[in-house]
Amino acid sequence: MTDMYDPLDFEFEEPIRISPSVPKKKKKVIGLDDLLEDHEKEQKRIKDRKCKRTKIKNTSDSEEDEDATEIELSKCVDKCQKEMDQINDDDEMPLWGIQVFGDQRTLPALEYPEPRSCVTLQSIMNHKLNSLVELKIEKGEPFLEGLLVDGWLLKLIFTLGQVEKSISTWIFNLMLYSSKERSRKAACEFWCSILSPEIEVNSSDIKIDWLPSYSDLKRALDIYGFLLDSPSKLSSDIDMIHADSDTAGPPQNIRCWIKYVAVCCQVRNTHLIFSTSEAEDLLGVIISLFLDRQLLGLFMILHACMHSVISFFKDEEWHDSCERVAKSLGWRLPRDINCLRTVESISGSNGRSKHLRSAVAKQFLIRCLNEKECDAEDILRMLISINVKDKNCDLSKMYIYLGLAENWLLFDPTLKDNAAIHEMWGICLRNCSCGIAITDLRSYASKVRSKASYLLQGMANK
Amino acid sequence: MENRKRGAAGAANRGMEENTMAILDTSGFNNSKISHHLNDDRLAFLEAVRCASLLSDDGSAPTSIMFEAVFQVLRDEDSLDLIMGSYQLLVDLNKRFPPVYLSKTEKSESSSSSSSSSNVISQLVVVQEAWSPFTFGLDSYNEKAVADKQSRGSVDSLNFHALVQEVVKVARERKSEAVEIKFLRNMLLLQYLIIILEGDFLPRNCAYQENKDWTVLRKSLLNMLLGSRKIIYKSLIEDCLCIMCDLSDDQTELSSEMSHNRRHSGNLLQEIDTAVVLALPEVEKSTCTVLKKLVLMIMELDLSRSMADLQGFTTRADGVRTPAVDIILEELIYNSNILSSFLQVFDEPKWKLKIIVEYFHKYIPKSSIRTRRSIDQVKDETFDGVLKCLSNSNSTKSIVKKLSTDVAQLLLAHAFQAYLSLSLQHLPGGVSELKEDVKGSSLVEVCKNVITAFTSLRKEDGETEIFPFGNEALFTAATILSTKS
Repeated sequence: MTDMYDPLDFEFEEPIRISPSVPKKKKKVIGLDDLLEDHEKEQKRIKDRKCKRTKIKNTSDSEEDEDATEIELSKCVDKCQKEMDQINDDDEMPLWGIQVFGDQRTLPALEYPEPRSCVTLQSIMNHKLNSLVELKIEKGEPFLEGLLVDGWLLKLIFTLGQVEKSISTWIFNLMLYSSKERSRKAACEFWCSILSPEIEVNSSDIKIDWLPSYSDLKRALDIYGFLLDSPSKLSSDIDMIHADSDTAGPPQNIRCWIKYVAVCCQVRNTHLIFSTSEAEDLLGVIISLFLDRQLLGLFMILHACMHSVISFFKDEEWHDSCERVAKSLGWRLPRDINCLRTVESISGSNGRSKHLRSAVAKQFLIRCLNEKECDAEDILRMLISINVKDKNCDLSKMYIYLGLAENWLLFDPTLKDNAAIHEMWGICLRNCSCGIAITDLRSYASKVRSKASYLLQGMANK
Repeated sequence: MENRKRGAAGAANRGMEENTMAILDTSGFNNSKISHHLNDDRLAFLEAVRCASLLSDDGSAPTSIMFEAVFQVLRDEDSLDLIMGSYQLLVDLNKRFPPVYLSKTEKSESSSSSSSSSNVISQLVVVQEAWSPFTFGLDSYNEKAVADKQSRGSVDSLNFHALVQEVVKVARERKSEAVEIKFLRNMLLLQYLIIILEGDFLPRNCAYQENKDWTVLRKSLLNMLLGSRKIIYKSLIEDCLCIMCDLSDDQTELSSEMSHNRRHSGNLLQEIDTAVVLALPEVEKSTCTVLKKLVLMIMELDLSRSMADLQGFTTRADGVRTPAVDIILEELIYNSNILSSFLQVFDEPKWKLKIIVEYFHKYIPKSSIRTRRSIDQVKDETFDGVLKCLSNSNSTKSIVKKLSTDVAQLLLAHAFQAYLSLSLQHLPGGVSELKEDVKGSSLVEVCKNVITAFTSLRKEDGETEIFPFGNEALFTAATILSTKS
């Protein structure tokens, strides 16, 4: 009984533990900036060392004997240094992240609605009360923006029960292209409120003359510099180099874009804005946004948005749509550590989300193994056939495969009670946990080993 | 039977705990690359907890040790990846395994068969063994146990207030170089803690409304936090107001400055992590929203408390506390710089209207003196009453003398906006409190009265122009009039 819950036995295989006590908690964790800084320091040190050596050479020309030993010594030190560097390099784990946004294009100029065509404005001009407000036609633009920002326009529209086309297009463009935080925030709130019934009154009361379409949203994404859409940029071309031009990366408006997509998907019953295939495409876009480190801080709204898009589909549509999204992601995204990140960014908070997670993991696995179509047993057979003891076996790939297979098998409803599959998965895990010795110094060896042990233990606990 | 089952589950949990915590075990590393690996391991740990507790169909809540480890990641880490991951995980876990919730049971009434055959009774369920980030010991009693818990990473009232103050400090003195990850983390931490307070308070308050059992609310985390003698309750409220106003104020300037800089100098871009820049406005906005929630919860708690007071359920142990509304009013009156931004941020119409009407009433000449505490008076203090006062040139004169036209205009315009929001909410008739403010006169009448009030304000002080917000209010009122009449 007690054996079962003891720590894993591999912990004790090693006769001497290096430090039995847990080291003090490291508060500082390395971020990208720190890595860069370290790298620069390292570069500087190497440069300094080179300088010193040349100096030494110059000054000690006369004393040949001493020089010889010195050169010998420095050669030796350099060699050691090189070897150490190499060991460290081997250990380096690539970070996830791809560049999803390239250079921004110029945001289109904002066009104010023509005041004369705007009934709302018109009505007040003719009203006797205008003497009180003293609104002039030429002052109409900033005034209208003020109305929006301070929230009056929304109240007005709700009271009047109608939004004119000129106003709604103007606000939509403000939301996606304005450089003023106040304006885009208010514009975003405006659209979310008039679309979504829960925030204010029953939205069916409001007549909306114009609704932005899918193409309007895609156009905005294109202007923000979204890279993954153009056919020339296949997964092989996507790199991690961040452009240093000033306009790289999406503008702040991307936040409004994400929120707006979420709301559009929630209101399918009252306003059908996207077709099913458009929603599939948007789901793929949202998931790929998780891979850009620049958007890391938008984790929460991206999650909420993904949830909304997933619940957009009708039950009878979901199964096929889910498979299509998974396939397209499998083709579009790079097959490296980013696969794992993609899968893990799908929250799995409900049945559909789990299904998607499993489907995406499976597609990545198939792509990684370079197979066209194969069933579950084929995939597992291939995984089992990988010989982790082989010195040339790329363990980093194995690490990714394990993560993908775990997610695929755990959440695939069709494989839940398939004993044969589970047995094969067990064999694969044992291969990794027993096949790699604790003394194995290859990079990723310990990672693969402990991951497999962890998963095995999880199976045993069930 | 029940017990044995739980025992077995406990054993399985322990197994899971050891297995998962092993991911965080750092004894294997000893060289320079350690931090990189630690980071990776923490991410793997978060993912493992998510898989085990949230993703599997029969997942159980993480053990306290695991919970604490996740919370520790949110409190200590500097990597955006980990901060976001741990925050989301904690929020999701709280949603999936709420420590306090209402369970609805249908109770059939056999005795009174005529009226209703079945009644939905909601029962408050408190999960005793659930983990909580808070520990509020009795203030002086049992110091050691409290100290023990703190070292394991719990938050007490003192830590909570310290966190609020830290956010205040950065929010106030912020310049563009202060954009840093620690600020972001503190805001998220604060958000999480308030979400926990909310999850604990709302069901308890619901239960209290039904069965009037004050002890349920007395034991709420929020009540314990506010009642703690380690902190000064009043300054906590003031600090919360500060954050709300500062964040909403600076937001615009900062982000426009940021985008401006981004366009003109390449250096800055490299210095400031673009991810943080992109995330900050969003996190600031959500922090504002969450703080607004906190203030609202405190007001609701005050309401329930005064109700319990009247019914004689509170004891001396409950102590005395000034209602939050009074503290806020005082702050608004004596610190007029925050008035405008507070009214802009605090957009919950019911309470906003209440606060503004009370503000006016401090300056409206009263015909007869009444005690502030009596409930009868509340009925008198309505938006309608204020509008009536302002249409009378004598009372307007005296208000303007004490209050300045600017402030009066600002209050009037905001009150009108709150009124519009309330009149737009088609609420079920049961909420009499809301109707009180809205009924009385029709929308058209109110619009007319608002215009009259503005006109008379302007008459009093011919020099001051109506500022934009007031102008917009006037425009709105006029437009509604022109279309409805």
